[in-house]
Amino acid sequence: MKKQDELFRIVEYSADAAERIGYSNYSYWRSVWQNFLKKKSAVFMGIVFIALVVFSFIALGIGKYQYADLQSNNDLMFTSPNSEYWFGTDSLGRDYWCQVWFAAQTSIKLALVVAIGECVLGVAIGCVWGYVRSMDRILTEIYNIINNVPTVIYMTLVALIVGQSFTIMATSMIAIGWLTMARNVRNLVMMYRDREYNLASRCLGTPVWRVLVKNIFPYLISVVILRLALSIPGTIALESTLSYLGLGLDIHTPSLGLLLRDSRAYFLKYPYLLVFPAAIVSLITVTFYLVGNAFSDAADPRNHV
Amino acid sequence: MVKYSVKRLLQSLFTVVLVVTIVFVLLRMLPTDNYFTEEQLMKLTVEQKNEQLKAAGLLDPIPVQLFRFYGQLLRLDFGESRRIQTGVPVLKVIGAKFSISMRLGLIALAISLVVGIVLGVIQAQNKDKIPDHIGTVYTVFVNSVPSLVSYSLVLVFGAHVLGLPSLYSTRNAGQSSILPIVCLSLASIAHYALWTRRYMVDESTKDYIKLARVKGQSSSEIMRRHVLKNAFVPLAQYIPASVLLTIGGSLLVERFFSVPGMGPLMTDAITRYDTNVVQACVFIYAALGIVGVFLGDLLMMFLDPRIKLAGGGSSR
Repeated sequence: MKKQDELFRIVEYSADAAERIGYSNYSYWRSVWQNFLKKKSAVFMGIVFIALVVFSFIALGIGKYQYADLQSNNDLMFTSPNSEYWFGTDSLGRDYWCQVWFAAQTSIKLALVVAIGECVLGVAIGCVWGYVRSMDRILTEIYNIINNVPTVIYMTLVALIVGQSFTIMATSMIAIGWLTMARNVRNLVMMYRDREYNLASRCLGTPVWRVLVKNIFPYLISVVILRLALSIPGTIALESTLSYLGLGLDIHTPSLGLLLRDSRAYFLKYPYLLVFPAAIVSLITVTFYLVGNAFSDAADPRNHV
Repeated sequence: MVKYSVKRLLQSLFTVVLVVTIVFVLLRMLPTDNYFTEEQLMKLTVEQKNEQLKAAGLLDPIPVQLFRFYGQLLRLDFGESRRIQTGVPVLKVIGAKFSISMRLGLIALAISLVVGIVLGVIQAQNKDKIPDHIGTVYTVFVNSVPSLVSYSLVLVFGAHVLGLPSLYSTRNAGQSSILPIVCLSLASIAHYALWTRRYMVDESTKDYIKLARVKGQSSSEIMRRHVLKNAFVPLAQYIPASVLLTIGGSLLVERFFSVPGMGPLMTDAITRYDTNVVQACVFIYAALGIVGVFLGDLLMMFLDPRIKLAGGGSSR
C-alpha cells in the first residue's frame, strides 16, 4: 500500500487546471447568438424593427389625435401632411398619422399571434405525422384537402359563417397556416426517425416523446425558426389581401389592407395616402424576412464551431 | 408506371370529391335568408320564400341534396347561376370569364419564365457580385412586402410616369392589360430567379462540372450545356400547375384592376350565396391543382430519366 501512495498523489483542486481539460463550455443557444451577432446587417435590421415597434407606441402617444376620437370632417379631406396632421388626412378628413400607426400595430400583433400559433400546432402535428406511421395516410389526406382549395375560399366561408374579428381571423389563419410548418417538420422527422442513434435509443427504452424532443427536435430548430420568420410577412400580406377584399378584420379595426382599400380610389391623386402605410409595412416585413434568414442560419448546428 | 398513374389519379379523384363535399356541406350551413337579395327579403312573404327555395331544391335534407349534386357532377352539369347572372348556366358564366384570366395569366407566365430564368442565370454567373446583389434585393422585396403594396406601387408608377390606364377595360384590352400583367409577373419572376440561382449554384459545385472545366470547356458553355439543363429539371415540376392555374386567375390582381376574370368570381359568388357557381369553382380549382402537380411529376420524369415515380406517396 505504501508504494501506491507514492505513485498517486492527491492534487489540490484548482479551477484553472479543471478548465484546461474536461468538458467544453459549448452552449447551443450561446453559439446561435454569437453567430447571429456576426451578421451586422441582420442585427441592424433587428434593432430597426424593435425601434419601430417601440416607436409605434410613442407615435400614438405623441400624435395630436386619438384613434378612438377620430371624426370625419368634410372640410379637412385630403389635407396634405403639415404640422397639424403629420401624415395628412384621409378621404373623410381624419388624421392619417394615428390610423397608420394603429394599423401597423394591428398587423404586427396579428402576425406574431398567428406565427406562434402556427409554430406550436405545426410542430406538434408535424412530429406526429412524421413519427407515427399509421397517421401518415390520414394527415396527408387532410393536407391535400386544405391545400387544394385556395386559402381565400376558406377564409371567405369563415368570414361569412362565423363572422369577422381579430380572434376569428387569427384562429382561422392558424387553422390553415400550420400546414406548411407541419409538412416541413414531417419531412425532417421522417429523415431522422430511423437513424441508428434513434434505433439505439428506442432499444434502450427511451419513451417516444423523449426521442422526439431530445434527439430529433434540435435538428428542426433552424427550419422552424425560418418558417416562423417567413410566416410573419406572409400573415401581414394575407391580412392585407383579405381586408382589401372586405373579408378581413371588421372596419373598426384599421389595418393596412383597409387603409389601402380606402385609399385605392384616391392615391393616384394623393400619393401620400399610399406612401406612409406602404413604407412602414414594407420595413416591417423586409426586416423580418432578413432577420429570420440570418437567425435560422445561425441556429443550424452545422454552421457552429 | 401506368399502374402508379392510375392509382394516383384514383387517389386524387377521392381528394377532389372530399373537397367538393366539404365545401358543399359548409355552404348548406349558411342561413337560407342569404339566398335572397335585400329587396326580395322585404317583399316576399315566408311562404313565397319557402316556395322558391323548394323549387330550387334547397329545403331537402342535406344528404338528398348531396346525392343529387353528385348525379349532376357526373354529367358535368353545374346548374344555373342564381345571383351572379340569374338563370344563366354556370358553365357559360365561367366560360366567358376564364379566357380573360387565362390570356393575362399565360402572357405573365411566359414573361416571368423568360425574365426570371435569365435573371437567375445572370445572378448565378456573377455570384456575390453587384448583379447578384441587385437580384437578391428584388427577390427579398417582392417576397416579403405584401403584394397589395407592390401592386399599388406598380399602379402609381405605371399610371403617373408611363401614363397607362389604371383600370382594365375590354374596349382597350391591349394597353389596359399591361399593368395587370406586370403585377402578375412580379412575384413569379422573383420565384423563378430565386430558384434558378439556387439550383445553379448548387449544381455548379458538383464533380462533373469540375471535370468539364478540366476538359477545357469554356465557362459559358458549361453554364449553358450542363448547369442550366440540370437546374431546370426541378423548376419544370411546377410549370404545368402554373399553366393550369392561370385559368383560375388571380383574385387580388383582377380585383385591383377591375379585370372581369375568374379570380373575383369565386369570392363574389360566396358573398352573394350563388352556391352553384361556388361549387363549380371549387371543383375546378381542386381538379386543376391536383392534375397540375401530377403532370409536373410526369414532366420531371421525362426530363430527367434518373427520376422514377414508383415510390410510395406523392413526391411533394
